[in-house]
Amino acid sequence: MAEYYDELLTLCGFEQEEIEEERPRIEKAFERLGIGPEDMDTADTWVRHHHEVTLQGVRKLLGAWLKELIDVVLARDEGKKIVYFGFPAILGPGLILSASSKDVMVTAPDMVLDHTMGQIFNKLIPILETGEANGLPPGHALCSLWQAKIGGIAKGMIPVPDLALASSYYCDMGSKADDLVAALYGVPVAYIDGVMDSPWGEFPEYLPERVHYLGAQINQALKKAEEVLGIAIVPDAWERSQKESRLYRDNLVRLVELMKADPVPISIAELELMETISSSSTGRGIREGIKAMDILIREMEIRVKEGIGVSEKGAPRVMLRAGHTSDPRITHLAEKTGLAVPLTFILGTLGGVRVNPKGNYNTPGEIIADYEMSGGYYYGTEAQIKFYEMAAALMKLDGFIATYIYNCRPVATISHPQKKYLEEKTGLPVLSLEIDNFDSRAYSADSLRTKVETFAEMLKAKKAAKT
Amino acid sequence: MKALEKLDAHLKTRLLDLSKAKEQGRKVIGYPAGGYFPEELALACDAIPICFIQCGNNETLKDAGAYICRFFDPFWRSQIGYLSSKKDPSYTIADLIVVPITDNHVRVFSNTLGYYTPERASFVFGVPHVKDNLALEYYLQGIRRVKRKLEEFTGVEITESRLRQSIELCNRERELLREISLMRKSDHVVVTNKDFVALNHASFLADKAVMVEILESFLKELKDAAPQPKDGPRILLTGSTLARGDSKVMDLIEESGGLIVMEEFAEGIRPYWGEVKLNGDLMANLAQSYFMEQVCPGWFRPGTERLDFLIELAKDYRAAGVVWYQLLYRESYKVESYFFPDRLKKETGLPLLVVESEYDAMETGPLKTRIETFIETIRR
Repeated sequence: MAEYYDELLTLCGFEQEEIEEERPRIEKAFERLGIGPEDMDTADTWVRHHHEVTLQGVRKLLGAWLKELIDVVLARDEGKKIVYFGFPAILGPGLILSASSKDVMVTAPDMVLDHTMGQIFNKLIPILETGEANGLPPGHALCSLWQAKIGGIAKGMIPVPDLALASSYYCDMGSKADDLVAALYGVPVAYIDGVMDSPWGEFPEYLPERVHYLGAQINQALKKAEEVLGIAIVPDAWERSQKESRLYRDNLVRLVELMKADPVPISIAELELMETISSSSTGRGIREGIKAMDILIREMEIRVKEGIGVSEKGAPRVMLRAGHTSDPRITHLAEKTGLAVPLTFILGTLGGVRVNPKGNYNTPGEIIADYEMSGGYYYGTEAQIKFYEMAAALMKLDGFIATYIYNCRPVATISHPQKKYLEEKTGLPVLSLEIDNFDSRAYSADSLRTKVETFAEMLKAKKAAKT
Repeated sequence: MKALEKLDAHLKTRLLDLSKAKEQGRKVIGYPAGGYFPEELALACDAIPICFIQCGNNETLKDAGAYICRFFDPFWRSQIGYLSSKKDPSYTIADLIVVPITDNHVRVFSNTLGYYTPERASFVFGVPHVKDNLALEYYLQGIRRVKRKLEEFTGVEITESRLRQSIELCNRERELLREISLMRKSDHVVVTNKDFVALNHASFLADKAVMVEILESFLKELKDAAPQPKDGPRILLTGSTLARGDSKVMDLIEESGGLIVMEEFAEGIRPYWGEVKLNGDLMANLAQSYFMEQVCPGWFRPGTERLDFLIELAKDYRAAGVVWYQLLYRESYKVESYFFPDRLKKETGLPLLVVESEYDAMETGPLKTRIETFIETIRR
């Protein structure tokens, strides 16, 4: 018998057999999340309005996020050993743990809450408010992803983890918030430490010490995880974990090629769903996400062939750092002002720009660290800006909407230098835009619209003058 | 106090003295506050270390606004402001700036230095955020690179004997500061918090040998000094940064009748609890002392060691309350300020007041009300 949620789940790519099979789990998870019949209309409207649900791949992507949500909510009930990592994070350690035991669930629950309770149900705010009331108050530029995580735990929506993997190589806030979780809930923390201490001008070079240290920290954290979780990391865990990563990356390469088309075949709001799932899930979410990508890529190929797109042909093309994780209205802003957005930072760095690790290392930790140093994101500010420059060269851009996240210190370091650097190096105009990428209360689409519209008009005028 | 008068006189001519020293071929090594640059290395190659510890002026934050957004610790934005505006000569006099990178607030300073002012010679090295052998080794590698850089920059080899001499001198300075600070455990406090902080701040700027002489004289004078007349509640003041020019919270505590008997800060207060050993590998000893033995700041993970230390300090110095003074947007301290008060209460019974600043004059009124209320509550 159909239940109140069947229609929504079908809209989000669930097959009827999947719904039947998972019904008890779905109901249990929804009950814990406070989702009921009264939420369905809002969710249906919200999803239809902000995502292209005529595309099966998009629906499947939304479903992949929902499946990850159900898995994390029920992980404790189902006897899983739960590991949380922060976003963004070096994924290797989580993938290795996940590949080593089916009893372990490794995930970034804040991202999962954002993409589901935010992007699907539009019910994130009460979770954020609970996070604010439990150690991460507003007004101090504290991370709203962490507010979602703490709020989710405090509200009993997501379980208290058995272990936290702290991104001590990147984010001061995340590691300290892991201390908060340890203080409030007694959760052990495996800190993976590193220091972004390369001098400006050094990239793409980096000292071997950085790789050795970060690599050794990763290896050490994995040992701690084995002890805390009572599992053994299997010898081929690294190779196995790489299989799925490779599939995902191969798909991103195909996507970048398709996004070179004019008009751009798909909204960045849909790409956001797939870009971030790889950095948030090491389980069912990413596996289902890869399947969804396959479908979406086929759908995009048809669109490119037929000249169908989400922007007008010839529209000025801009790069956006990333889509909004919880509120697609913000992600759509640029497209709504008549700009085409063929590229984000993540798409460019994971699917476009070639990464050249030194390759002189043997332990899993060092191999991961070497890759991440050359990949730029965890190297430091200079590398991030240079990756913008390289990624932009792929897509014949007309400008950048260079957002920076005000309450994410590692990203906020980019606030001013990115504009100066990119304008000087590429000659393209740059709109520097301060946002909160995870919470749209203070930085709403309405508050940002004037800036984006003005920039778009300028780009359109510039492009028209050229032709 | 004659020693303090002598110190004032020394600091008044310090910039002139530095200019003269530069004319004679000596190098000035600037470094930002934080406790992770071993000054011994600069001294051992006959260079002059000068710490960037000025702050408290909201105008410099506006200068920094040209280079970075608002959402960073105002102390570090101040450093960007002073450096870029060139308004303070103690920031422009350095020939080389060495930056130990701790967290992202420090990194934004080093980025600005590297990207916007490439003409200023600078050198960065990293300070890990955890304490284990891997981290110690990484820090040691960092200060070894600093040593090589300083030797190359000054043209002076840091020999074992030169390094030993400089460690002895710095150990003496730490020992004297420690001795003065420990006197505040007594019921009859003879040294005011303001004098101690002034001495500590001066130690970042003064000639090291002169500073040691001044501290020795000060200590002698203290032995005959009358106790402070105050009988107000004894306060432990703690936080991320207490730099030179930022006396607002100290003033308000004093004006409200509180007696600050100890300051525990990661930046702006020279660490003086430990000393560098003189036997064996001196570079390894520096790393051991500066990294492993130094009480970690709030941005270490976990921050338990510092919180344990605070509880010990509160007991040892018989504090009646703790004022937790954090700077806006320094997230490590903000997060700890949520869960530490409960622990403090459980283990010591002491109350804790959290106050925050962005070096804005507008804050003074609300801060005064909160601090007065806190002191009054403790009194009762």
